Amino acid sequence: MKSTSLLILIVVLFSGCVKDVKPWEKETLAKNTMKESGINPIKKQFEEHIYFSKEASKGGSGVSGGGCGCN
Amino acid sequence: MKHIIMSMLLIGSVYAYEKGDIISDNMAAHIGCNGEKVYVVDFFASWCGSCKKELPLISKANKNIDKSQVEIIGIDVDKNIQKGLAFQESLKADGKLNFRIINDPQNLIISEFAPIGMPTLYYIKNKTVVGVITGAVDDIDEQILQDIKKVK
Repeated sequence: MKSTSLLILIVVLFSGCVKDVKPWEKETLAKNTMKESGINPIKKQFEEHIYFSKEASKGGSGVSGGGCGCN
Repeated sequence: MKHIIMSMLLIGSVYAYEKGDIISDNMAAHIGCNGEKVYVVDFFASWCGSCKKELPLISKANKNIDKSQVEIIGIDVDKNIQKGLAFQESLKADGKLNFRIINDPQNLIISEFAPIGMPTLYYIKNKTVVGVITGAVDDIDEQILQDIKKVK
């Protein structure tokens, strides 16, 4: 009984930390500064160009979508 | 114990409007879609790239619809209302926004519709959701005109 109460207490206490981000709340996530490459997409392209040249491979990085939550 | 865990999982889950759902009287009155027309309700925000792409196309479709039977309504969900208004004005200045807009900075309207992504477009007739398009569509103007013919 004590362990069950403890489990419930832990779940209730930590449930406040796991709020879903709704699609209409993604303004901050949609900013350029939230992208892996930061505000300069050329930097990422340049790094990828070096990586692909060294590894003789292409693709497989990144995800689709513009951060608007539509994909 | 099982029931307690299930109840906790269900707390906070949002019910989204889907095809066939009837929207509440209060919401229908609030956004003005409680008439006899077919209403096309589009949710957008200034920070949503796909929405920016779609809005001029939706405005293009708005020029080709029978206003006595169909009305397009935009819901701007920008929390920063000044930013939202500036975005709308920039589009209007370029002739890319020609339908009625409702600002929803508190996100009360979109919270009730609870779409799974943005942009999302709802077709509403007799307070009933008769169609939903979630996500960006390249030729949304043609899609709207086709869908309106189906739901009218």
